[in-house]
Amino acid sequence: MSLSTNPFVSTTGKKPTCMEMLQLILDGQDSPEQREYFKTHMENCMPCFKNYHVDMTIKELLKSKCCGGDAPEELVAKIKGQIAQNIS
Amino acid sequence: MAESVRQHYTDKEKQEIFDNEFLPHIHSMYNFGYRLTLDRDDAKDLVQDTYFKAFRFIESFQKGTNAKAWLFRILKNSFINDYRKKVKEPNKVDYQEVEQYYNSEDVDRQITPDLRVDALKDMIGDEISNALNALDVDFRTVIILCDLEGFKYEEMAKILDIPIGTVRSRLHRARQLLKEKLSEYAKSMGYKNA
Repeated sequence: MSLSTNPFVSTTGKKPTCMEMLQLILDGQDSPEQREYFKTHMENCMPCFKNYHVDMTIKELLKSKCCGGDAPEELVAKIKGQIAQNIS
Repeated sequence: MAESVRQHYTDKEKQEIFDNEFLPHIHSMYNFGYRLTLDRDDAKDLVQDTYFKAFRFIESFQKGTNAKAWLFRILKNSFINDYRKKVKEPNKVDYQEVEQYYNSEDVDRQITPDLRVDALKDMIGDEISNALNALDVDFRTVIILCDLEGFKYEEMAKILDIPIGTVRSRLHRARQLLKEKLSEYAKSMGYKNA
């Protein structure tokens, strides 16, 4: 894939760095074309391959370990009760 | 965030918006409150306060728009204006430094902590949670919004009242700092060059 087809190239024509490409993906801001391009790029770029897998593992760990469960029932009941009082 | 035009709702509509659009986010809101304050009771107070404010200002909210981002913004503002003042926690991040860091030409040559996937996969306890909690609150916030809640740059910019460029640079720096913490844990777990 040549650079001219790189979907990460901005409208100003600035060549993106590896880090900029990876960040868009990590931040969930990439397009399907960009994701596809980066997959091909990673096959030939060892630092990107390694960083991608480490960063994605951290992202998955965060999601699975830090979402902390439900709000306490008594809090939900208290809020609901006070709003109901305000309306009636 | 669709709050400039004031809406007019009947009591029934208010109750519907509250039940169907606001309440479904309560678990995410509680987690956000907890991750900001690192205290379960403070999180409860913050969430309760946020929901009351949301109800009081419900006519600033346009039905069917992004309720989650709207609520997160209220909670973040309550945290800064009420909670942070109360505990007198100073803002420790030097944003100028962060911006300069991100905009410099050396970003691809920065020293990245050498962390391995197998070391991370062994972190089955509280390591990741502790590493997140140890970050300065402004860095912690962007990780929560992006990685836990899946907000986009534009939504984060509105929630935090900062430009998109700052969201990006803060996220970048936050990820670096998190990796440094995790790298320390990995070393303490016996991973060499982890």
